[in-house]
Amino acid sequence: MSPWGFVALAYGIVWGSIVVYLFLLKRRYNRAAHELDQLGSKEATAGHEQK
Amino acid sequence: MTSRLRPIKKRKGILGGLALVTVLFGLYRSLVVAPPDAYQGEVQRIMYLHLPSILIAYLSYFLVFIGSGLYLWKREKRDDILAYAAAELGVLFTALTIIEGSIWGRPTWGVWWTWDARLTLTAILLLVYVGYLMLRSLIEDENRAATAAAVLGIIGFLDIPLIHMSVYWWRTLHQPPSILRPDKLPWENVHPSMLVALAISFVGFLLLYFYLLSLRYRLGEMRQEIIARRLTRGG
Repeated sequence: MSPWGFVALAYGIVWGSIVVYLFLLKRRYNRAAHELDQLGSKEATAGHEQK
Repeated sequence: MTSRLRPIKKRKGILGGLALVTVLFGLYRSLVVAPPDAYQGEVQRIMYLHLPSILIAYLSYFLVFIGSGLYLWKREKRDDILAYAAAELGVLFTALTIIEGSIWGRPTWGVWWTWDARLTLTAILLLVYVGYLMLRSLIEDENRAATAAAVLGIIGFLDIPLIHMSVYWWRTLHQPPSILRPDKLPWENVHPSMLVALAISFVGFLLLYFYLLSLRYRLGEMRQEIIARRLTRGG
């Protein structure tokens, strides 16, 4: 492999991994936010029913 | 519960944009403007990733250390959330450091890996914090998991001074620092354009790190909120 090949491999792996991690983190974040919203709306519905 | 990252949380979008711009500028300086090294040639450009990655990993483990210590002392959930978030990012940046070092080592040292003191201690650091994350997922009781992980988080941090001093204490293949040397100023040993590339790259990594940390921290907070609400509904 040429010297630039090693450089490309290192930069590709590092930035590829960071982008994949960011994507997975955003997905986990959105799922948690959605779950929290659902719990909030269920609580609101239960509150109305009690009234 | 007041957030440990309140100043960052409100400016997450700005931080993300700033990180992106700085990272792109750092890439331009590292790959286009900085000259090749007189001895290592183009392969030395991997150092613009390698050094910022390990410094960010150290910063992350320092936050784990602080968060864990505060959690054991005050038992506030926000400190545990910070330690957990920082540990996850620390593992990511340590793994990347080892991969970059390995890719740099093949053309420079002739091997992908060697059981050099600094490399071995860094691998141990990675394993300790992978253990930390496994511990969190294996122990069901939230508080017990947090306590056990906090103890491991503090013990694991003790490896970092060993990693730093390993190149002085043992005869190792890994070279001593080129920039943070006690006998020379950074610009006396490294070409200024290389130093600028390294500095911008580090700032880019740092901004990106705080952006990722703020997202991961908020995720931890939301998880806690979900658990708390479920318990309230169950009770």
